Parts: sequence; C-alpha cells; structure tokens
Amino acid sequence: MSAINNKCEYISKKQIKIIFDGKTYEAYEGDTIASALLRNNIRLVGRSFKYHRPRGIYTCGIEEPNALVQIISEHNEPNTRATIKRVYDGMEITSQNRWPSLRYDLGAINNILSPIFSAGFYYKTFMGPKGFWKNLYEPLIRRSAGLGKPPKNFRSKSTHQYHNTDVVIIGAGLSGLAAAKKFINTKYKVLLIEQDSYLGGVLKNSNKVKTINDLTPQEWINETEELILNSKNINILKNTLVTTYNFTNHLIALEDKFAGKKIDLNKSELTLHKIRTSNTIIANGHIERFISFRNNDLPGVMLASSFEKYIHRYGVVPEKEPVIFTNNSSSLSLLKTLISLGCKPKAYVDSRKKDNIETEIKKILKDKEIQFFSDAEIEGCDGNKKVETITIRQGKSFTKLKSSMLCVSGGYNPDIHLFTQSKGLVKWDKNILSFKPDTPFQKTITLGSTSGNYSFKKLCDEINEKLSIFKTKKVSLDINLNVPNKFSIKELWETKKKSNSNWSKSFIDLHNDVTTKDLKQAITEGFDRIEHLKRYTTNSMGTDQGKISSINSLAIVSKMLKKEISEVGTTTYRPPYAPLSFAAIAGRSTYEFYDPERKTSIHSWHLKNNAVFEDVGQWKRPWYFKASENETMHQAVQRESKMLRENAGILDGSTLGKIEIKGRDALEFMNLMYTNAFSKMKPMTSRYAMMLGEDGMIKDDGIICKISDQHFIATTTSSGAPKVLADMEEYLQTEWPHLQVYLNSITEQFSTFNISGPKTREIMMKVFPDIDFSNDAFPFMTFKNFDYKETKIRIMRASFTGELGYEIYIPPKFGLELWEEIFSCGKEFNLIPYGTETMHLLRAEKGYIVIGQETDGTVTPIDLNYNWMIGKNKKDFIGKRSLSRPDTSREDRKQLVGLSPINKKDIIEEGQHIVELNELPKKIINPIKYLGHVSSGYHSPNLNHSIGLAMIRGGKNLLGQKFFVTATGKTKNIPVEIVNPVFIDPENKRLTS
Amino acid sequence: MILIKCPYCGQRDQSEFANGGEAHVIRPKNPESLSDKDWGEYVFYRNNPKGIFYERWVHSHGCKKWFNAVRNTSTDQILKVYKVNEKRPDLSDFENTLKSPSGEPLVGSGNFAVKK
Ligand SMILES: [Zn+2]
Repeated sequence: MSAINNKCEYISKKQIKIIFDGKTYEAYEGDTIASALLRNNIRLVGRSFKYHRPRGIYTCGIEEPNALVQIISEHNEPNTRATIKRVYDGMEITSQNRWPSLRYDLGAINNILSPIFSAGFYYKTFMGPKGFWKNLYEPLIRRSAGLGKPPKNFRSKSTHQYHNTDVVIIGAGLSGLAAAKKFINTKYKVLLIEQDSYLGGVLKNSNKVKTINDLTPQEWINETEELILNSKNINILKNTLVTTYNFTNHLIALEDKFAGKKIDLNKSELTLHKIRTSNTIIANGHIERFISFRNNDLPGVMLASSFEKYIHRYGVVPEKEPVIFTNNSSSLSLLKTLISLGCKPKAYVDSRKKDNIETEIKKILKDKEIQFFSDAEIEGCDGNKKVETITIRQGKSFTKLKSSMLCVSGGYNPDIHLFTQSKGLVKWDKNILSFKPDTPFQKTITLGSTSGNYSFKKLCDEINEKLSIFKTKKVSLDINLNVPNKFSIKELWETKKKSNSNWSKSFIDLHNDVTTKDLKQAITEGFDRIEHLKRYTTNSMGTDQGKISSINSLAIVSKMLKKEISEVGTTTYRPPYAPLSFAAIAGRSTYEFYDPERKTSIHSWHLKNNAVFEDVGQWKRPWYFKASENETMHQAVQRESKMLRENAGILDGSTLGKIEIKGRDALEFMNLMYTNAFSKMKPMTSRYAMMLGEDGMIKDDGIICKISDQHFIATTTSSGAPKVLADMEEYLQTEWPHLQVYLNSITEQFSTFNISGPKTREIMMKVFPDIDFSNDAFPFMTFKNFDYKETKIRIMRASFTGELGYEIYIPPKFGLELWEEIFSCGKEFNLIPYGTETMHLLRAEKGYIVIGQETDGTVTPIDLNYNWMIGKNKKDFIGKRSLSRPDTSREDRKQLVGLSPINKKDIIEEGQHIVELNELPKKIINPIKYLGHVSSGYHSPNLNHSIGLAMIRGGKNLLGQKFFVTATGKTKNIPVEIVNPVFIDPENKRLTS
Repeated sequence: MILIKCPYCGQRDQSEFANGGEAHVIRPKNPESLSDKDWGEYVFYRNNPKGIFYERWVHSHGCKKWFNAVRNTSTDQILKVYKVNEKRPDLSDFENTLKSPSGEPLVGSGNFAVKK
C-alpha cells in the first residue's frame, strides 16, 4: 500500500531532508510539503478546527482546506498550505491544532461533544452565567479553536513593486499561454502571472491533452515560453499569486521570492506587486469540488484531479488501488493515468446512468476487469484515522470495499473569485452545474475553464474571438485529447446516509468543520438567506473561502429551500483570494521606517543634555531633562517648574506650526478665519487667537503676528499645523476665490525658542546687548526684527508660562549656535532647559488651555470664558453664527473651571469624573450624576498642592462650591473646591511688567 | 483603489487625494440672517445618495487644488471631474451610466444571477 515514485521531469533528482513533527523524511527538490509527505506515506497531517478530527491532504493546490501546517524554520509561519509550499533541505514543519500529539489529540473529545458545537454555537452556547465568558469560555475557546500559533521574532524585509501595463494575464496554463502567444512582439506591454514555479497548468497536472500543434504538451510549453522570453514586451512573474482585483483594474499579487529555498534573512522574502493595467485576462482555470458523504473528511479522501496532479506534477502515486468516485466525464483521465502506470483502481463508481457514461470508460473498465458501479454513489467510508473501508450504494444494494484512498470528483467550478472581486456578474450554467462569468464590470476577459468553457477544442476560437479587440495575429491551437472533449456531469451534492452516529459526519466545509446537518439546522432556525446562513454556520468562512465546497453548499441549501440555485445566489467573494501575509502588506514600512521622524536643529544638544523625548505628531520633542541618572520624571518636572518661576527656563519650540499669510486681502481673510478682530491691531503686534469650525467648536489656537494688513504670520499647535494650512487653503479656493491671499508653511524655516522666567530680561540683555528690552520699548505682545551676526532674527514678547517671556525666531542653520550662546549667558542666572511636560504644568498653573486637552471638538470659546477673543462686531467669521445656536449658547454646557483640593495632600488625577457624592456606592444600581471631568491635573510645585483644570456643567456659576473627584481604585472621592482656573498671577503682572 | 483625474495634474492614484464631501454646498453669504434651522442645515446636513453624487476632492498629496467630481457611489466610477468655478453638470448627462453591480437583489448578496 505504499506510495510509489514515478518518473517526473518537474522534480529534480536531488534528495533533501525535511523534518515533520520532529521526524526526518526524505524528499526531492521541487516537492511541496504535501507531495513530500505523500511520498513518505504520511496521510494524517492535521487536526480540524472545531472537532479536532484527523485530517489528511485533500487537494494539490491553493484550494486546500485541511493540510495546513506551521513552518518552524520560517519564523514559525502558521497556516501554511502544505499543498503549495515548496520544501528545501532542512525545512522544519509541524502539524497544527493538536495536543499533545497529532495521533493522540485530547481535543478530539469535541467530536463526541459535537451537539454543542453545531451551527451558531458561538452565539448560543456561551451565554451565561455572568463572568463565565471572560474567565472560562474565552480562554478555553482561544486554546482549543483556531489553527496555528502566531509567528515570533520576525522582522519583515518584504518589498513593494509597482507596475503599469496594458495587459495582465492571470494564469499561465494552456489558455494563459495561448493568450500570451497572441501578444508576442506586439506593441502591448504584457505581464503574465503564474502562481506555480512552472508554466503549463493543466498540461502538467494531467494527462488530458495528448498533443498541441503536433508537439507534446511539454514541447509546446517550452516553445511558447521561449517565444515569450524572447519577446521584449512580455514579462513573466512566477511563484506569484494574484490575490486581489480592485476597482480600475488595480491588481495586487504576492510573489514568493524564496519558493523552494531557505529564506535568506538579509533579503526580501516576499514582493507585493501593485499592478495598474488597462486590460485583465483571467485564465486561472477551475477548481474541482467535492461531494458530501458520511466521513468525507477521513484522511485518504482526496479530489480526483489532485490525485492525478500528484502523479504528473510530482511523480508520486499516493495509492495504487484507490476507489474512484465521480459524477462527471473528467475522471477518465485519472483512470487512464493509473492504467498507464500499471496500477488498477479497486473500483470505479459513477453516479451517472450507464447509458450516459462514455464508451471509452466502460471499455477500459471491462478490459481491465475493474469493478464498475454505474448509477451508484459512495454511502460513506470508515476507518481509524484513515480510510479503511468504503461503502458503495447501487440501488438498494450496498457493497463494502477495502481501500486506503478514495478519489472524488464532484465536477468543476470556474475559478470566479477574481472575476467577482472585480464586480463582474456571474450566472448559473446548467451544462457545467456551476456559476460562470457573465457581464464584466471592468475591462476583464475570462478565458478557458475560468469562463466556463470546458471544451479544449473550442479554446482556440474563444481566444481569437475574445482577444480580437487587440490588434494581434490569430493563434492556432490544434489540440489532440486523451479524454472526451464534451463535458458530461450529473447533479450530485450529497449522498444518502445509511447509519447515523456522532462520529459519522457529512461535511460541507472541511476548513471550518461545518456539516450538511448544520446547514439544515440553520435553515430550520430561520437563517434562510445565504449571507445570514454563511455567517451563522461559518460555512465557507475559513481561509480557503470554501473553494472546493461553497457552490455545493449553495446547491444543498437551494434544495432544502426548494429553490433554483440561481435564486439563492452566491455569497460575496472578497479579497484576498488566498491569505496574504501582513508582512507583505507592511513592506518596508515597519519600525523606524513606519513614519518619518522630525527633529529640530537643537536635537543634538537635547541628546547631550539627557532629554527624554515625547512624540508630538512626527516631531521628537524633549519631554523633560534628567538632571541626574536617578531623577524620575516627576522629580524632573517639579524641579524644572520651580526653577523657571524662580529664575528662567528655555524651551525648544521649533515644532510650533508657522504659516505665512500674504496678499492684498490678507486682513479680510484673517478676520474670516479667526475669531479675533485684526483690523484695529497695530502692525508689529501679536495676539492670541482661535480658529473655530463652522459648528462653533474650537479647532486650533496660536499667536497671530501682524506685520501689516497684507502680511501676517500665524503660529499653530505643533500637530495641528498641516490641518490649519489645509483648512485655510480650502476656504480660499472654494468659498472665497475672490480674495487675493497666498499661504506658505514656514514651520521648518525657523528655530523657535521660548525663554521665560523672572530673570529672562537680564539674560536677553546679555545675549543681545544692542537691543532695548525695557517694558516701554518692548511691551508684551509686540515683536521686532533684528540683525544678528550674519543673519536676521525676530523676537516677540509672549509667554505660555505666565512669566515674563520672549520668543526668538532664527533660521535653523544658526539655531544651535544661538541656543548655546543663550546658555553660556544664562549660566549665572541659573537658566534651565525644560520640556513639554513642564510647559504643560506651568500653563495649567496659569489657567491656559491646550487644544486637545481642555478641548475635544465640543468646546466653544464661550465655554472657556474666552469671550474677549470673539470679534463680536465682525460681520462674519468661521463658526460665528453657530455660537448663537440654542445648543451652543446653553447655560449648562460644560465650562472651564479650576479645581483645588480641600485636603491639600489629595491628588487630582487627569480624566477623573466630578460628582456630588463623597463616596461611590459599593454596588452601583442607579446611574451616578456626572457633572464633568478633569481635563488637566498636576502637582503644582509653586503652590505646593495638586491643581486641576476641569470642564464642568454650568461651571461658570459654581465658583466656590464643593464637589468630589473620583480617584483610581478608590470608592472614597476627593473633596475639591471650584476655583478660578488662573492659579498664578491672575492680574498678569508678571506678563506685562 | 480607484484612479482620479485631477483637472490640473491628470490621472493619479486615489491615495494622493482626500474627499471633501458633498459639492455645491455654498457657505451662506450672510450667516446672521439665517434662522437657526437653516444655518443648522448648512452646517450639519449633507446628502448621501446611492448613485450619482456630486462631491469635492482635493489633490492633497499633489497640487493641493480642490475640484469637483461626479461619482456613482454604488460603482465607485468617477464619471466627470471639473474645476470649482465650472458649471455643475446636469444629472441627465449620467442617465445611461452603468448601474450598481449589486442591482439591489431581493435575496442573496451582490449577485445579478439572483435577478435573472
Ligand atoms: Zn493635481
């Protein structure tokens, strides 16, 4: 009963070794994992998804539902199809979903317990009691369901490649090659894509074609390949699978660069091809389907054409005396192949009536004395982890035969996945009993069996006719066949069961363990729409997408519903055609290549001075500076905050967005974009301003510098700059094209330093001895331009800390030099660098808001008590009208307040709720009245207690009142007093003197 | 991933563009004169038809220009692109364009086979 090795020219003679489940086996270079295992007589390769039933190799291609393995030697890659993955010397493979071993799997108890795993079991079984889902069911399901384990220690080097072409031909079988031949040496740029490492498809997988144009199939393939290779306009991609057919003829294909080779970790193992084409020719053939019968999942049951493919393509005869079970004419080719090798099938079971069976088949069976059952079917098969006996039903009589393999053919489906992904419409063809392409939605042509044409003789005419839209010569194909040209099939989806037991299941989806009984149950429960039924039963929802079985399930369902299949319709085929590795999709966009890093001109200084960085958009900003190795973040921020208010501190503010607004109508434009009124503002002064959405909610803020009525510079938040510029552009282009205004992002054109603290003026005078920094000469919210060394600088008096402060703008080229100069001058004044965290703490002490912290897209300037910023006398600005809408002018909206703890040792945490209860009930029955939330919470080193900013309903009228703030992990709440949000210098004396 | 023809740069990949919602919604000249309801409709209400839709696009990773497009939302076909200052094409221009591939079947999913 052992597999025999047959001569096969596609397999090299080179013997290699592979390891499967810890044992070493011999294989040949060119084998797939499946052909290598079959060569070694291994039939049991995995356990099923739900019931942990033993499973074997069912097919010989991409459609495989069972033989999924884990490749240990490739980063532990799981769920690999053994039927397409090629082996190499030393490849290490394990089976999946079994514990402790493949032969003795404890999970197989699920098979006996199967009534609880029937259709919809996820929805019904794990309902209660409360808490069981999280603590028991979910961990249990996660351990026992599913297939392989995720990869580990894996860093992808995959690459992406783009193509623009006139024609893509998918599949280099007989039709694809013949189509490619038409394009040889033409003006069309053509890409021929083949999933396998060889061209030829059906010609190599079977015995069906005898000669083409008087050449053997192999000679014809070689001749055609050479012509294509010599033609400059056609490129061939082998080992490449088209997984996705998007709109506008956009295809995605995955190339395995290491098919049959050990991965080189220094090279890209996968290439994702992104192809834009004018025309797509789909010629990727057909997929054989199975038939449901009792135990149709036992290892040893295999699709007939797959069995034949192992012989021709890999030189492995999985079994010398299999039973063949078919409902169509195509199995003659397998029969003839076996006979030619001196093998004799145990029996040939054909569901067709004797008169309808081809004379040639009947003649061979008679001549070779092979048991022949016409108008018969397989009732089921039995055996321990493998097929042992096969029961045949013919009329009322049953025959039991002993064989270890059963080859099944239930007919063929045109491979319509890509065609339907392209949104093409399909229709039911009664002659082939399957759906075939009908109306294309894009420029898509299907050829050969993909188009539902199962006649080799008609192929030549089909190609010449369908490709006549291209200006190419006709091709000629004179094909001689080993099989009948006319395809004949009898409808058969499921055979009748004799006995009944839990073990005896008739499967409709092998991958997801769905039985025909599940389909019936789902319909009984009311899931009679095919899309509902699919989701309820998980039928055809596995990674194989039910390639060998989904049409069968439609047929079975249509019978149960007493409808035509065409009335039931198909479910939607979605990309990808086969699982696509995330590594391939990510390409090189991983780790440091995932997103650009933007660094300021001072970055090297920050590194040298022990800055800890924070990501703000793509920017790296110092978060805080460590004064010593052991200083914690809290200690650093407290130190920086205290030092700044005592002496002075400097912040690298270069990341702040800066937009230049210039043009005749710049003033009018600014008046429309921002809430503030800019008309009466004097040149060379600046103003804190806000930008709203049309709904009246705050979008961004910043300081606006007015150079003249025709020239403004706006600063924005660090992460908001691109959006603000885009919004300004949008209004200019779409609403106010009559305004003559030009916008320019100048963020990167300046290094910006914010220096503030009581000693700032002295430091500035030392750095810039020629400039008069007196309050009269240089008042708050003014700016001036100066020559500095060989460049120009702009200094603005502004502050975000509440202390006396200046902002210095200098071209980045000179930034670091000036920064260091400031430090050498500031040394005697104890100048410190500070980071964004200290900036946030200091501004919270001063009651300044931060966009995205106090605001969340539902906050108006009125909610913040910033009415003074609103240019009420302006006729219009973005969002103005919305501020008087009933909802935006409500008195009980959430408004900005300060929080001060009554017990000064309590800590107010950011994000906590503000409530009226001093203690939360142990068991919460009724909703607790919620008043608002803490938007910012810090320990203030300058006040020596915790402070908070909060958004509270009707907060403006609650000053002085006592409420409670919830605390992490506690039921006892913190008592707080509602206070003015400005904790430091409410009179602004420090700012303005 | 569809292709979009920027009226300024030509045909480019969708990833270079950003969608700006319904086109031809003009910002009222005098917002203060509008009732709360009318202003609310301008700010919050947009059409979302299945079929022919006039919408705005911006070539955000290209020339940064805004333009209008007529798209069939059920097939994702862009039937026409035109500049912001150009006249809105007539709905009748698109009467004979391909209908939705799903064709609103009675049962099943997106398959025409159901209807035939
Ligand atoms: Zn453009």
